[in-house]
Amino acid sequence: MILKERVVENRIMGHPAQGLYKMVLSGQIAQTAIPGQFIHLQVADSNDPLLRRPLSIAGIDKVKEEVTIYYKVIGKGTELLTRIRENEHVSVLGPLGTGFTIPEQGELLLVAGGIGVFPLLSLIQVIDNEKVRVKLLWGGENKQFMESAGLIDIEKMGVDMEMSTLDGSLGTQGLVTALLESYLDGGRITELKDKGNLKVATCGPKGMLKAVTNICLSHKVPVEVSLEERMACGVGACLGCVCSVKDSEGNLKRKRVCKEGPVLDGKEVVWDE
Amino acid sequence: MSKVNLKTELAVLKLRNPIITSSGTYGFGEEYAPYCPPSLLGAITVKGITPLPRLGNPVPRLAETPAGLLNSVGLENPGLEEFKKSYLPKLPGLDTEVIVNISGFSIEDYTFLASAFQSDSGIAALEVNISCPNIKHGGMAFGTHPESAQEVIATVRKNTDLPIIAKLSPNVTDIAEMAKAVERGGADIISLINTLLGMSIDIRSQKPVLANKMGGLSGPAVRPIAVRMVYQVYEAVDIPIIGMGGISTWQDAVEFMLAGASAVSIGTANFVNPMAPIDILTGLEEYCQQRGYGSVREIVGLAHQR
Ligand SMILES: Cc1cc2nc3c(=O)[nH]c(=O)nc-3n(C[C@H](O)[C@H](O)[C@H](O)COP(=O)(O)OP(=O)(O)OC[C@H]3O[C@@H](n4cnc5c(N)ncnc54)[C@H](O)[C@@H]3O)c2cc1C
Ligand SMILES: Cc1cc2nc3c(=O)[nH]c(=O)nc-3n(C[C@H](O)[C@H](O)[C@H](O)COP(=O)(O)O)c2cc1C
Ligand code: FES
Repeated sequence: MILKERVVENRIMGHPAQGLYKMVLSGQIAQTAIPGQFIHLQVADSNDPLLRRPLSIAGIDKVKEEVTIYYKVIGKGTELLTRIRENEHVSVLGPLGTGFTIPEQGELLLVAGGIGVFPLLSLIQVIDNEKVRVKLLWGGENKQFMESAGLIDIEKMGVDMEMSTLDGSLGTQGLVTALLESYLDGGRITELKDKGNLKVATCGPKGMLKAVTNICLSHKVPVEVSLEERMACGVGACLGCVCSVKDSEGNLKRKRVCKEGPVLDGKEVVWDE
Repeated sequence: MSKVNLKTELAVLKLRNPIITSSGTYGFGEEYAPYCPPSLLGAITVKGITPLPRLGNPVPRLAETPAGLLNSVGLENPGLEEFKKSYLPKLPGLDTEVIVNISGFSIEDYTFLASAFQSDSGIAALEVNISCPNIKHGGMAFGTHPESAQEVIATVRKNTDLPIIAKLSPNVTDIAEMAKAVERGGADIISLINTLLGMSIDIRSQKPVLANKMGGLSGPAVRPIAVRMVYQVYEAVDIPIIGMGGISTWQDAVEFMLAGASAVSIGTANFVNPMAPIDILTGLEEYCQQRGYGSVREIVGLAHQR
């Protein structure tokens, strides 16, 4: 079904230089959405831009029947999105694609790059804190992003987090992969790893996902990645959004990021064809 | 409710209405089923099938242009054997007529594909994509030479008893000549247009956007070209036409029918509005009703009167 969701909130977050926006939609999406899925949203009633825009679900409130998305203005489509006012209705397909596996025990390690932190937030929301320990590693360009995103003191919300920035303005200077390496090398989690009680979920730019996957696999830690690819239909009909995977016999296959993804098992993804 | 007769006869191919969905934009029919019941459509056309499985081109495969879409999927498909095993048996369940689109890179490919589908295969027609490069002849597309286009269609004709739709490439100087060639080859129906070869370059990276560099342009941007070609083909041949290329509203569909299309096919518009085929059918019906036409076929080719 094509849904008409009501825009409850659509506002800029923090520093204008970040171009970061939050949008809350009220309607049916929340009923069935799971963390990791996305929506395919029509930004304008015109032929330019022609296509819908895929956006990850970052928050799911089943009681209020609302989903939250965060987006960064990078082109015409996202710019038009900022002009949508509260109480207007938008045409949405979704929830679409696969979601993250939700662990019931052990530790879930979230590895986020830049704006990729948002889809992982919806995962934090649904985890049973009594049974599963959650740890977040975030890497980005600078402190301003985290300030704008309102995540600078996410630790107060009970999330254990380590951060790194390229300019060193927040956390350690460097890449999130360095945080990941030293965390996985740490003695404390050896036992968790050995029992298979440590799982990683990651979202961010493709190069980071590849590096994170390689590090996890070398530590024999299972990892789920959330991929991005340019999309047209969003429902598996056009084959525009594929990624490459290796099947169990080692044959190269395609998967549709919109249908068999966006969340895939990191170990099957072929990063460089 | 409606007094307008929507039944559409394309030579021997009989459809409940003139709305079809286009190859490559509609998967294998099931992807859009939750949005647009296939049973309401005249027919669906499945993704182009080749003799062997194809991985297609690397990504990016898509680039948006003003009112248009460039794609370079590269004919990714499961291949004939897997199609027959895993997809074909599910198609009758869709409760609509199914057109199978076939693509080859040699005459032998078309022979092989055509003989695999007969009137007892559970499908309504074969659509022959002749826009593929002929690898034995320097990679020139079959559909850009009247002789090779005719030869492909004649080969398919010899090897199947299903109705044949010849799908024309718009990347030619004289579309009427191509239409006459496929009519001579034995096509029952002509469909047009396939995508127009195009390109888009990212001025930041200074490289082509598509990994394959070039791709096929579709969407509203190509519509005037498609309308012109349907108009020309209608005057050149006696067989019925399925018009396509940028149709997104009922007004667009009416325009194609006035130009000479007996049925219309919806492609890129599905990506924007998965209900487009139904919306178009409803609008088309109202247009006929308001103007007092008893049957939708009465408007076909009317633009040629003046
Ligand atoms: C499953 C999925 C989930 C996403 N979730 C979010 C989200 O939660 N928040 C968010 O801000 N963005 C998200 N994105 C990306 C978002 O869809 C794009 O930023 C948006 O479509 C850009 O539209 P535009 O018209 O503003 O930019 P355009 O004018 O289309 O593009 C601007 C520039 O970015 C490039 N570009 C556009 N889309 C992509 C892409 N998918 N991959 C690589 N390069 C691209 C273009 O080539 C161009 O150079 C997601 C994408 C996918 C596939
Ligand atoms: C993503 C995509 C894939 C396509 N794949 C095929 C194909 O496999 N075989 C074919 O004959 N045409 C294919 N086409 C062409 C369409 O069937 C249609 O002829 C063309 O897109 C023009 O119509 P439209 O503007 O309504 O999309 C494809 C088009 C698109 C956009
Ligand atoms: S966007 Fe069409 S198949 Fe994924």
